[in-house]
Amino acid sequence: MLPSGNGWFRRTVLLFVVVLCGTAGLYAEQRSGSIYWAPENATVTGHEVDRLLNFIFLLTVSVFVLTQAVYIFYLVKYRRRDGVKAHYFHGNTKLEIIWTAIPAAIFIGLVIYSNELWERIHRPPPPNALQVGISSYQFGWDFRYAGADGSLAMPDPEKISMENKFGLAEGDPAAADDFTSAELVIPVGRPVQILLNSRDVIHSFYVPEFRLYQDAVPGRTISWVWFETIRKGEFQLACSQLCGQGHYNMNARIRVVDEAEFEKWYREKSAKAQAAAAPPKIAENPTKTTL
Amino acid sequence: MSALTAESAREVPSPSVHRSGFIRTYLWTYDHKMIGLQYLWTALAFLFIGGGLALIFRYQLAWPNTVVPVVGHFLPASAAVDGVIIPQGYNMMVTMHATVMVFFVVMPMLIGAFGNYLIPLQIGAGDMAFPLLNELSYWLYVLSGFVLIGAFFAPGGAPGTGWTAYAPLSSVAAYNGTRVGQSLWGIAIFINGLSSIAGATNYITTIVNMRAPGMKMFRLPLPVWSLFITAILLVLAVPVLSAAAAMLFSDLNFGTSFFRPAGGGQPLLWQHLFWFFGHPEVYIMILPGMGLASEIISVSSRKPIFGYAAMVWAMVAIAFLGFVVWGHHMFVSGMNLTLSAAFSVSTMFIAVPSAIKTFNWLGTVWRGSIHFTTAMCFALAFVSMFVIGGLSGIFMASTPIDLFVHHTYFIVAHIHYVLFGGSIFAIFGSLYFWFPKMFGRMLSEPLGKLHFLLTFVFFNLAFFPMHNLGLAGMMRRISDPTIYEHLRQLQPLNQLATIGAIGLGFTTFVFLYNVIRSLRHGAHAPANPWHSNTLEWTVPSPPGHGNFPVTPTVYHGPYEYSVPGMEKDFLPQNEPAPAEARLHSH
Repeated sequence: MLPSGNGWFRRTVLLFVVVLCGTAGLYAEQRSGSIYWAPENATVTGHEVDRLLNFIFLLTVSVFVLTQAVYIFYLVKYRRRDGVKAHYFHGNTKLEIIWTAIPAAIFIGLVIYSNELWERIHRPPPPNALQVGISSYQFGWDFRYAGADGSLAMPDPEKISMENKFGLAEGDPAAADDFTSAELVIPVGRPVQILLNSRDVIHSFYVPEFRLYQDAVPGRTISWVWFETIRKGEFQLACSQLCGQGHYNMNARIRVVDEAEFEKWYREKSAKAQAAAAPPKIAENPTKTTL
Repeated sequence: MSALTAESAREVPSPSVHRSGFIRTYLWTYDHKMIGLQYLWTALAFLFIGGGLALIFRYQLAWPNTVVPVVGHFLPASAAVDGVIIPQGYNMMVTMHATVMVFFVVMPMLIGAFGNYLIPLQIGAGDMAFPLLNELSYWLYVLSGFVLIGAFFAPGGAPGTGWTAYAPLSSVAAYNGTRVGQSLWGIAIFINGLSSIAGATNYITTIVNMRAPGMKMFRLPLPVWSLFITAILLVLAVPVLSAAAAMLFSDLNFGTSFFRPAGGGQPLLWQHLFWFFGHPEVYIMILPGMGLASEIISVSSRKPIFGYAAMVWAMVAIAFLGFVVWGHHMFVSGMNLTLSAAFSVSTMFIAVPSAIKTFNWLGTVWRGSIHFTTAMCFALAFVSMFVIGGLSGIFMASTPIDLFVHHTYFIVAHIHYVLFGGSIFAIFGSLYFWFPKMFGRMLSEPLGKLHFLLTFVFFNLAFFPMHNLGLAGMMRRISDPTIYEHLRQLQPLNQLATIGAIGLGFTTFVFLYNVIRSLRHGAHAPANPWHSNTLEWTVPSPPGHGNFPVTPTVYHGPYEYSVPGMEKDFLPQNEPAPAEARLHSH
């Protein structure tokens, strides 16, 4: 009644080998760029994340290869053969203790390593960090810089509305010369701290090259994310938290440029913003008095 | 074996003794076996719905913005225009695929079908403790299915907020544009929860109170243990989801603001409630698979399960720890950072019992006499696939790595290795194993082998490349990756995954054909085709009404295979060991 294991087994192994080789060939055919691994890292902490990633990868691959090798070896060796009876035993306490203790020790080590790095990634940003306000909405991003005075007005999530996209307090002197941008431009090598807000639903700040992900939660300002880039380049900021029908296309450009180029861009944007801000201020006053 | 059938044949009444009409037999029955089969067929139907949805959106991912072949032009306007999937339609299909697979395929199949069918038979009981509640729980499941599918026909279409339905996207109609669809989703989840709670209560009561004489807790077959622990998880976790669904419904329709910050609510509250249910849920969907696979592996290795007690305690440990790891879904959600670190610790700890189980399966095949039946092939593959899913989980458990791979295809790969490679492989294996008992016919082994082989190959083809997609930075739940410069070059991987998925979809028809053919023409199944020890194999296939003509007495544990000193290599639980058998009782 039970099918004879042997012939079938040999055929199966053969088929597997054929399929595996075929798949490998398919893979090789497609090789182009970093299709199999993470894109090149662009931040200081990203480098450490990569080290941890490689470590866990090596660890898991060794565990996988080792356990599967033993497993497949057993499956071949202990396949049913006429006249050979299975050995009768219910287990082995010593072995149980060993294979409880070893994984536990590995996991404890891993959690210490991980959380130490987690702690380091999230230590307070250095005082010279460039602060950028990020306001996310269905379906896009606005970025806000401190402007000429170098001080960024702190957002108040409760004040965020369609008119007040960043939730700024009325008459906040720090807000006066802030300017906004549709792209995130940052100088290479300078720490950047982001202040994350959302105007509607949860969005997320995700840049694979930065090894960074953080949700933007409506009603709150998340200010613990900061990073320091190590190379220039253009990246894409993508929302990675399903946020509605336009989610798939909610992205923005990130440009990491050298300090000189950044200064130039900053000055231009700042001047333009100040010029634009001046006339409406006069127009704004009468409406306020009527209220 | 012949001795065994002859012996039990004496007192077995013919199944036809208990005759009733079509409705009382197939639609409204108090017989746990028929209720199990009701779950089985319904969940199988949902498998085709959920799988079909997956194929449609996989097509969009591989060849974005082209007409979906065959079905494209039949899709509703809320999902596709001129046969091309629109972004919101994509979100809907992703949402419905996951909701259907989790709540309407895997849970009902493992818990509803195998739970109902096997628990009374394996503990030596005539039926469940509450037969009416049992049938009611099935019909609540069907009702919730209709409500969920109804969402497709709601104005605005089905919900598109993901099966996790993160608030406030899900809870504010202005943000999601599908007030009715999302509300129906909430109702469906609520009713489905009632069904789960009713079923779980029944299982716990039955297992605690109705075991046959001599069936001590530590003589229970592992499927029963796993379902017992799962039932406890269900009773504790599902009410939390039901409460969350009710709050969501209220936010959507009555203007409350549990989750909307503008009204004083907290968006993260939804996530805490959802994952407080959601993480035990992961184990709800894998523990029964572990139990079923353990049974098949032990029987087909002709060897006692290695470390029975360790297996049980590992499941108990998983159940306890399962309630304190939900925060690992929220490392980067805006939750307190120290809390993330704490959840990372508990998450690493829950990996230990899973490792223990894996080593015990290895120990079980070690020095066995392995019969490669189709059921065994699926069970063996279950172990390997579960190992891959478990190992990829370690990446996400490490908080800094989660910064990188959170919400990418890496996690999509992970969940499918656990849920498909784990749960669905266990389901297929169990179907091959218990089909003879359920229907009195053997499934075709050659067709089964073909089914297994194709499933194994196409499954890995579909889901393994997703690890690479995730590492390369591809986000979940985006309908068109080619919009992003850094993702465009990954299209070959996306196409490979889609080809695998299509293959996997078609392979299911091999299984379906096998089932239909075997139901009519399959070889008649003897009472105990696999020479198993558990009680369901001591009665005819299929068992008659009331299961056991005489309540069996249990003399030893369920895994006494290849006992030295005995002629045959198995010893049913209701047979006292012969004097010459050198039994180590556990």
